[in-house]
Amino acid sequence: MKNNQPLAQQQPPADALIIGAGFAGLGTAIRLQQQGIRNITILERSDDVGGTWRDNQYPGAACDIPSNLYSFSFAQNPNWSRSFSGSREILEYIHHLVNHFNLRQYIRFHQNVSNLAWDQDKGLWQATTTNGHVFSGRTAVMAQGPLSNPGWPGIAGLDEFKGKKIHSAAWDHDYDLKGKRIAVIGTGASAIQIVPELAKCAGKLTVFQRTPPWIMPRPDFTTPDWNKTLFRKAPVSQTAVRKALYLAHESMALAVIWNSPLTRFAERLGRWHLRKQVPDRWLRRQLTPDYRLGCKRILVSNDYYPALQKPNTKLITWPIDRISQHGIRTVEGIEHQFDCIVFATGFEVSNAGTPFPITGIGGRSLNEEWKRGAQAYKSINVSGYPNLFFTFGPNSGPGHNSALVYMESQMDYIVRSIRTIKSLKLKALDVRQSAQDDHNRSIQSRLAKTNWNSGCQSWYLTEDGFNATMYPGFATQYAKQMADLELKDYRLLAEEAASETF
Amino acid sequence: MAKIDLDNMLEKIKNTQWSLSDVDWDAPGAELITPEQWPKLKAFMADLMWIEHVGARAFAAMAKKAPDDTLRQIYTYFHAEEQRHANAEMALMKRWGMLEDGELPEPNNNLRLVIEWLDRFADDQPVYVLGTVVPMLEIALDGALCKFLLDTVDDPVCHQAFELINGDEARHLGVGFTVMEMQGHGKTYIELIRMTAQLMDPRLILGIASYFPLLNKMRDNIVEMGLPEEKLYEAMRKFEKIGGRTGDGRRNPWFQIIKHHGRFVVDRKKRFYHAPIDALVKVADVIPRKAFPAVPSWVKEITYHPTA
Ligand SMILES: Cc1cc2nc3c(=O)[nH]c(=O)nc-3n(C[C@H](O)[C@H](O)[C@H](O)COP(=O)(O)OP(=O)(O)OC[C@H]3O[C@@H](n4cnc5c(N)ncnc54)[C@H](O)[C@@H]3O)c2cc1C
Ligand SMILES: [Fe+2]
Ligand SMILES: [Fe+2]
Repeated sequence: MKNNQPLAQQQPPADALIIGAGFAGLGTAIRLQQQGIRNITILERSDDVGGTWRDNQYPGAACDIPSNLYSFSFAQNPNWSRSFSGSREILEYIHHLVNHFNLRQYIRFHQNVSNLAWDQDKGLWQATTTNGHVFSGRTAVMAQGPLSNPGWPGIAGLDEFKGKKIHSAAWDHDYDLKGKRIAVIGTGASAIQIVPELAKCAGKLTVFQRTPPWIMPRPDFTTPDWNKTLFRKAPVSQTAVRKALYLAHESMALAVIWNSPLTRFAERLGRWHLRKQVPDRWLRRQLTPDYRLGCKRILVSNDYYPALQKPNTKLITWPIDRISQHGIRTVEGIEHQFDCIVFATGFEVSNAGTPFPITGIGGRSLNEEWKRGAQAYKSINVSGYPNLFFTFGPNSGPGHNSALVYMESQMDYIVRSIRTIKSLKLKALDVRQSAQDDHNRSIQSRLAKTNWNSGCQSWYLTEDGFNATMYPGFATQYAKQMADLELKDYRLLAEEAASETF
Repeated sequence: MAKIDLDNMLEKIKNTQWSLSDVDWDAPGAELITPEQWPKLKAFMADLMWIEHVGARAFAAMAKKAPDDTLRQIYTYFHAEEQRHANAEMALMKRWGMLEDGELPEPNNNLRLVIEWLDRFADDQPVYVLGTVVPMLEIALDGALCKFLLDTVDDPVCHQAFELINGDEARHLGVGFTVMEMQGHGKTYIELIRMTAQLMDPRLILGIASYFPLLNKMRDNIVEMGLPEEKLYEAMRKFEKIGGRTGDGRRNPWFQIIKHHGRFVVDRKKRFYHAPIDALVKVADVIPRKAFPAVPSWVKEITYHPTA
């Protein structure tokens, strides 16, 4: 903010100042409320809740963890229409949470946080938003989403293209795709969901691939009515199914996270899936990953490979040279011309910095400190930034299980901490640097043995190959890590104490 | 040619690309092809274009086997660049009225054998086998043939296209020889034996059986066009000179093998070599088309259309 701007509007401090109204922000609010903490402010830059599922409404958008597991354990939904629900249905579920738990009262929409600073004297976090408002809270929760800012590729000529450009995470539903010549750049999680849908309506569809993903068959089915009835009448049955799904996914960690015989098995399954669906040898070669399974995100789909072989669809693996006025020039010398380019190029991941400036004790800048790779204590606190909590902080990412399982562990940790701050009348709860260092030493040595660090490039790693994203273990281990608030790892500052002693 | 830094090379490759639409394929000059030249040129161009195309496929195999990410990316680009050469050469053929709409020139039978071999076995070859054979093919066939072409054809568009193509080729050779030296680094006599033992691999023998006749076949093409075959040999000797300029280069066992083979090729007096190989060329020529399996689908990816 410029200094000559009028004094920003000041709101009374909240007990918890939450940034983001996606699953994490809303879930934290629910859990706080259930513990009697109601002085909550949620800042949301958009005009609706839902985060990922509000923004990702591209054709075919759906979760790839079964819905019974990709939902909160404390708010199960017996009515999921299919095993892997579509984006809209997940958004409906989130709306249902907001209404059922009466969360709308806490949310301030159109508040895009651009700065977060710790005021040591007052013992408050101050969030400044782009429209000049300042909100404060005794504690702050970063729930701005691990994948909430669309990422554009660094391709030359991006702005020269005269046709339509659409990012998968900001779909333009007014644009009519029927009969159009469409390019899809990227072959990650979003792309493999979009491509089969676009193949149904495009005049010509060209998919530009840099690295092929590992793709597993997807056990997708619609939920029969008797099943919904059962879940509604006997919620324990749904809890049991959820538990089974959880364990099934936990076991996948053995294939996904570490290089084990199960990794080989899963690779064989992936190749079998490819062979079964793609008869042409050359196309199969183009689609065969040449890095270890698990190194990048593993995808599931039954209709991606078949879609690529439709007469109107084509896979291009030539490197892209540049984008031109009319299309995409690839290195084999041809300009592929399009009416529309879809960028399924993922998100900007802040694994080497913060999404907006965060200032801690004595004006220290977290963005600076994270330049060489983000680090935290148990993914949730950072020393020097008291009373600040991260959801999906450093090394909290799951590779094999529902993000919401991890998120619930984080939410409970946050609620426990905020209750402690309130009950012990603390001004500040600040994790010790030594505890943080110990944690990271152990995490990084465990990461060295994982598939993610086995040599491929992915968004899990910083440019220098530092893994600041993933948690190297089972969800059960992560839950155990987050189960206790070990106060010995923290410095506690009482409300009336002078700030110098801190 | 000094040893090059591969990371810088990759950057340079990425920053200096061209595409078919950079050339005006309808510009005047096509009429400079003489009627006597036309049929021979057509046969020559068809072969040349296929050589580019199989070169592309070889780079694709090398990309899979590259020892590090920089080389993997470089080979991925070279794969596409060779395809671009094939596309550009097809665009020239189209310009000269040598192709019907949508027509793909027929590969000669030697090339069909090479295509078959590449498609089946190239991906399984250790990177240093292709890493040595490809520079030889590049310097001999690709490089030298292009030069012959420019000596005989006056069409300015042809010259423009080959200036672009040769710019790429210079980099291919620079990388090719650098990699050969890298692979020769620290090699011992034992390893020479071990690598030579790989010659016994039947898949590799098949490859040799298709590579050797290809060279002789191209020699015949050159003679057919009225060019001195000595020029091809000069180019092949260049392989020996550049590849063997350093100790590391000379220690690369595959360099030694290919070099010695090159010496046979350039010496027609080595009857014990040329008689059987020329026979193989003839044999290949009479293999009925039907005997070949359907061409792999990568073969159909070439096009003379600058836009798609
Ligand atoms: C296409 C897609 C599919 C996915 N599928 C799965 C799956 O199948 N299984 C799974 O486990 N995970 C999946 N994920 C991961 C998914 O992101 C998480 O599961 C989860 O939705 C994250 O929730 P969140 O609340 O942390 O973040 P989000 O849902 O991204 O919510 C963050 C919110 O913060 C707001 N915000 C951001 N910055 C600011 C700011 N500066 N000021 C104010 N507000 C801000 C955003 O507008 C947004 O509403 C998927 C992600 C994507 C993108
Ligand atoms: Fe070439
Ligand atoms: Fe070349």
